[in-house]
Amino acid sequence: MADAPCIIGKGIQIRGNLSGSGDLVIEGRVEGHIALQDHVTVEESGTVVADIESQDLTVNGKMSGNIEASDRVSISSSATVRGDVRAPRVVIEDGARFRGNIEMDVPLPPGLLK
Amino acid sequence: MANTIIGSSIVIDGEITGDEDLVIQGTVKGKIQLKESLYVESSGVVEADIETQNVEVSGQVTGNMTASDKVELKSQCRMIGDIKAPRILIADGASFKGNVDMDV
Repeated sequence: MADAPCIIGKGIQIRGNLSGSGDLVIEGRVEGHIALQDHVTVEESGTVVADIESQDLTVNGKMSGNIEASDRVSISSSATVRGDVRAPRVVIEDGARFRGNIEMDVPLPPGLLK
Repeated sequence: MANTIIGSSIVIDGEITGDEDLVIQGTVKGKIQLKESLYVESSGVVEADIETQNVEVSGQVTGNMTASDKVELKSQCRMIGDIKAPRILIADGASFKGNVDMDV
């Protein structure tokens, strides 16, 4: 059980800092700051009011806060997100609601640079 | 398992509240307030004041505990702090330092 999954269930609220490694699934409510090395999933019933730093992030629920992912951010059709996103790969599905900045940090071809 | 699991590689610093069972295999500092049962497993480390209905400790807990029903200290657990609950069980092999108040 080296990589025990971390599940924050529907009836749970956490206020504060959450850090570590391993995957995290949020079905409840988290306020504060999340810094994880692996995959964070905010399920449809989940509400997150926090800045998130992780490798991967999948949002199916509601969240407000800035996102910084080292690999990929996926905002699915049922998601509502407010905040800035910074990641090399960002996916926003049809139906998702999003408000904020996206920075993909992609090197542009020289011809496009001003 | 529908309940919440704080995995062994997770550290939470803050407040946890809720109305369902919580299993701690990682580290929690701060405060825990639940309406149901709390399980601190052998890999779990808790430095928090705890207020729940039931507590089962197999890991390490530092802090005061108030349970409305039962506190169970399993063998191999380490607990420092005061316990207040109507029913308290301490298994052989458990280490415990603190006050016990059964409200008699």
